[in-house]
Formats: sequence, structure tokens, C-alpha cells
Amino acid sequence: MIKDNQYAIEVDGLTKRYGGLLAVNNISFTVRKGEVFAFLGVNGAGKTTTVEIIETIRPLTSGRVSILGMDVTKKKRDIIRRIGVLPQGFNSFDRITVRETIQYFLRLFGRSNSEADGLINLVDLKEKSTEQFKTLSGGLKQRLGIAVALVNDPEVVFLDEPTTGLDPRSRREVWDVLLSLKNKGKTVFLTTHYMEEAELLADRVAIIHKGKIIAIDPPAQLTEDYDNYIILTLKSPKGKASEIIREVGFEPINDKRGDIKVRLEHTEDVQRILNAVKEGGASFHGLDVRTPNLEEVFLKLTGDSIHEETAGERLAK
Amino acid sequence: MNLHVIGANLTVSIKSFYRDKTVVFFRIAFPVILILVFGTIFMDRGNEIFALGIQDLDRTKASAQIAHAIGLSGRFKITKVAPGLDATQFAKDHKLNLVLVIPKGSEESLVRRMKSDDPKAFVSLRAVHDPSSFGVSTKMQVLSMVLAAMNQKMSGKAAFIKLSETSILKKKYRFIEFFVPGIIALAVMTASLFGSVNVNAELRQKGVFRKLSTTPITRTDWILSTVLYQFILAVISTIVMLLVSYAAFNVSLAINAWLLVFVALDVFTFVGLGMILSRVAKEAESAAAASDALMFPMMFLSGTFFPIEMMPDFLQKFAKVLPLYYVNEGLRASMVSVDNMAALKSAAIIGVFAVVVFVLGIMITSFGDEA
Repeated sequence: MIKDNQYAIEVDGLTKRYGGLLAVNNISFTVRKGEVFAFLGVNGAGKTTTVEIIETIRPLTSGRVSILGMDVTKKKRDIIRRIGVLPQGFNSFDRITVRETIQYFLRLFGRSNSEADGLINLVDLKEKSTEQFKTLSGGLKQRLGIAVALVNDPEVVFLDEPTTGLDPRSRREVWDVLLSLKNKGKTVFLTTHYMEEAELLADRVAIIHKGKIIAIDPPAQLTEDYDNYIILTLKSPKGKASEIIREVGFEPINDKRGDIKVRLEHTEDVQRILNAVKEGGASFHGLDVRTPNLEEVFLKLTGDSIHEETAGERLAK
Repeated sequence: MNLHVIGANLTVSIKSFYRDKTVVFFRIAFPVILILVFGTIFMDRGNEIFALGIQDLDRTKASAQIAHAIGLSGRFKITKVAPGLDATQFAKDHKLNLVLVIPKGSEESLVRRMKSDDPKAFVSLRAVHDPSSFGVSTKMQVLSMVLAAMNQKMSGKAAFIKLSETSILKKKYRFIEFFVPGIIALAVMTASLFGSVNVNAELRQKGVFRKLSTTPITRTDWILSTVLYQFILAVISTIVMLLVSYAAFNVSLAINAWLLVFVALDVFTFVGLGMILSRVAKEAESAAAASDALMFPMMFLSGTFFPIEMMPDFLQKFAKVLPLYYVNEGLRASMVSVDNMAALKSAAIIGVFAVVVFVLGIMITSFGDEA
């Protein structure tokens, strides 16, 4: 374990079991102070379990985790005064207003009610400060959750899927808040489904898959490391394009927009596929050829497509 | 224990309370409605006037006097049934559960008895009644007592065995005075139990507890603030119930420090039980079902609506293991009979129970996940 105080979070050999299920399998990593660290993984990969162990919410099975040099199993009460947590799907008291919610959490930390104004401004909720929690939209609730996570001026902020379920506009509003935290030099531990979010905000990204960390690097480094192939995208294909591509020896992937993506090792393969599609009587409305982004790196590493959890999946848990 | 934290929780709870009109209704208005409804129904219990049909088939002066004498007792509102009608059908048609039939020859029997003291001469009144009807047995007992008094008076001899009454209470009390302490105990119990079970289960389900587990709040702070909040509401609700009882029924109840003691013990006990239930049954729906299952037997078997002496032996024994029974007993001992020793005994029993469940509640309550 590295004892250098440049690290806000140190995780060494962390393992978590739920009965016979191995949720987190002997993972180790560190997060530097002032760093925005993104934790990527599909549902059930072990990211929320990991972050909740670090936040002191959930006990670990084995290994060692420390925050700001304090062991999470021994110094919970000291740790929670120095960290801020936005749990997944932040909720609060239905009939309490935005300002009152912030003031409530300020009082829990023994801080002055007068600090509420600064936090309300930070998350841009001034116009909603007298609205009750139950009347807020999902995006506003998340922004309030971020303000609540900051009431104790924490050194490390944990944000567990802060933009999941939000519309694109609300997501961008939350990103603005996260960027302001980054600019303030806070250490931010971010778990997310969104590659775009991780690419935009994170200094480093860790990819967790089936309880193991399979890659950890800055986003640019990750894409560069896997820059040894190209992605061909056929937009809005018609006919049997997928079958034709498979027949010429490539594996097409249908994305959620209905486009077909093919990973290719050589540029000359692009022409081969286009010719085969044309000869096979299929068509498409456009094409794109480029190097992989973080989402495609993730796909290559995990073999799983990352996606947002649906309400049904959430209920089924 | 952190007073800042308890104060913050209290503020949030009170604001949430008065902003939710449904909760305000069930907490304050509902017990008052219960008192008004049950108080009105049972206000004159003990001096109840019973409906009675009388059919005089003899149609003589003597039979008329019998009917008149029954009326003079003041216990019956008499409806005359025409001699030509079928008494049974009349009872069914007019929803009368008791019709008294004075037979033909009543006057003749009376004359024989008066003149020759013939023991074979008597009048046999026929009571046509509906045994399935609520209160008919009480009505027939009252009628028998009235007839016994008439027999004794007609014999011309002074009664040999007489009954004089000495109340163990300092004043004569009505049913409403029995009822109000029971409703106070019940209202405090339901609010404390449901309040803690529902709020905790909902906050756990919504993930608010998970967030709280990352703040300096402790489970002792949380439970103490819940108790304090429930106690404040219980005191307000009790004051309102007492004011309505005084205004509507002019109740005569002693108000002393025991009232606060029993309200506090009621709150401690049932908030503690609520904490245990909401930990065992983690989802809001199952927690509500569990509190229903706990509350309903207590509501009906702890002597809230009627004395447990009216119940069979085994149910009386069962009642004595229910905590609400001791709150009822204690409140009645302090407010009705003003018996400090009896109040102390009930307070000691419910006090021990309160400490046990409260400590257990603190021990098993958790904001986070143990898994």
C-alpha cells in the first residue's frame, strides 16, 4: 500500500462476497488528490458495491481501503466528515424545500444555515429554492443531491451515476456543476454509464468488469492503446446488410440507433465490405470511418455494450 | 447524542407533518371524530331508554295498569300494538326486538289472587323477542327487574333484602369518561407505530437512509428525534381530544402528571416497536401490514372500547400481555379513579416494556446495509 499522501483513495486487494456471489474480486487502485476518477462498468459489474465500500456504507469482505489515509473499517465517523456522497438516485424528504433540504444537511454536519445560499448558487437552484423536493424534476433533484453532497466542503466527492435517467439537457446542466467541482480542485470519484461523461470529465478511467478492473488509464490513453483498428459505421442500412457482412468474414454489431458497426484491422477491408453490400442488393443512407472512442474500447474490453438501466431492470433488482 | 442533529430532524419532521393535510387529518381530527361518534352513541349508556312494544289482549283496567306501571319505570319507550295484530309480525315489520304480550284473562287472575290469595292465579306475560338482536338480552333483564319490583310492590310487604350502592370512584362516571382515556392511548399508539414504521420504511426504500448513513447522524439521534416528534404531536392531539371531550360531553376527568407520563411511555413503546418492525419488514407495504397485524388485536383486546372483563377468560389473559392494556389501565387509574398506586403499577409494567423495545429498536436500526 502506498503511503504517500498524494492519494485521496487507496484500494488494495478489495474483495466483496454476497454469500456465494463474488461481486468484487481482489481489485486495487488509487485516486490522486484533485483528480476526477471515473469508474465504468455495466450493471452488476461491481462498481456501486465498490464505491459504497469506499463511502463506508457497505462492509468489505477482505482487502484494505483507505480515504485520506484513514481505514474505512476503523474511521467511519472521521471519514464521513471529510467526504461528500451523492448516492445513486438521490432522494430526500418529499415536503421539504430545496433550501430547507440543504439547511437540514448543513445542520447534520454542524454547519451554519447561511452557507445554503452559496450551495444553491453553485448548483444554480436559486429560482427553485422554495420548491418542495417532490415537485422537482429528475435533473433538479440530482443538482440538489450534488449540493447536499457538498454541505461539509468535502475533500473527496463521490457521485454515483449522477446523470442516469436524465434528459440530455439536464445531463449537461449536471456536467456544468461537475466541471465547476473539477475546477475547484476537488477529488471526484464518479461512477457512470456514459462514456461521453467520462471522456469529458475524467482525468482517469477505470473499467470494471465482472468484479475485476480490466483497464485503468486517462481516457485519451485508453483510446490510443486500442487505436489499432478502425470502425466502419453503415447508417440506416436496408436489406440484408448484416448477413452480407457476416458472409465476407466480419462481425457486424447493430447499435441502438439501428446502425451497423464493424471493427476492421485494415483500411482496404472498408472497400471489400462496401462492394459486398452493394452486390448483395442492400443499401444504407450514409457511412462513417473512424478510430475507436471510449465506448468502443469498453466494448472491445468487456464484450458487453454499456447501456442505461431501464426502470424494469431497476425493479427486477 | 447531538442536539443539533435532533433539532434538525425535529424541524424536518414537523414541517413535513403540517404540509401533509392527510397526515394532519388522521393525527388530529380522526381521534376527535372517534370521540364524537362513540361518545354520542354511548353517552347515555347506563340510563338507556329501551324501545318496547306492548300488546294488551286483555283490554281491561288491570292490564292497562300493568302496561302503565312498566312505563312508569322510566326505562322504556312504549309502542302500543293493536290487539288484532300478530305480535311476531309486528316486531319484524317495525324492527322491534321485544314485544310484550299481556294475555286475555289477566284481570281475572289478578282478582282471584287478590281475593283468595290463590297461588295458581297468575299472569304469564309473553316476551316476543329477536335473540339475534344486539342488546335484547340486556333489555329483557331490565324488564325482568321492573316486573320483579312490581310483584314485590303488589305483595304489599316491604322488601327484606335491599341493595345500597357504594361506588369505588369518587364520582359517578359515564361511559364517555371510560372511553376518552382509551381513545387517547389508542390514538397515541397508532400514530407512534404507523409514524415510525411508515416513515422509516419509506425513507429506507427511497434510499434516504443510505444518504443519512454518510452523515454524522447516529441511530440514537434518529430514534430520539422520532420519539420527541411523536411526543410533541401526541401532546397536541391529547389536548385537542380532551378539549373536544369537555366541550361536547362535559367529561369529568382528572388531569395530572400521570397523563404526560403515560403519553410518553405510549410513544416510547410504540416508536420502539415501530423501529423493530421497520427493520424486520424492510419494504413500506410489508411494514404497514406488520403494524396492522400488531395494532388490530391491541385495538380491540386491550380494553379501549369496552372493559376486558366482558371478554372470555382466555382473552382476558391474552389482553394482559398487550402493552396497550397497561397504558389504558394506567390512564384510567390516573384520570378516572385517581388511584396513584394503580397508575404507578401500570407505569412500571409499561415502563419496563418501553425500555426493552426502545433499546432493541436502537440496537437493530441501521441506515446502511449490513450485507
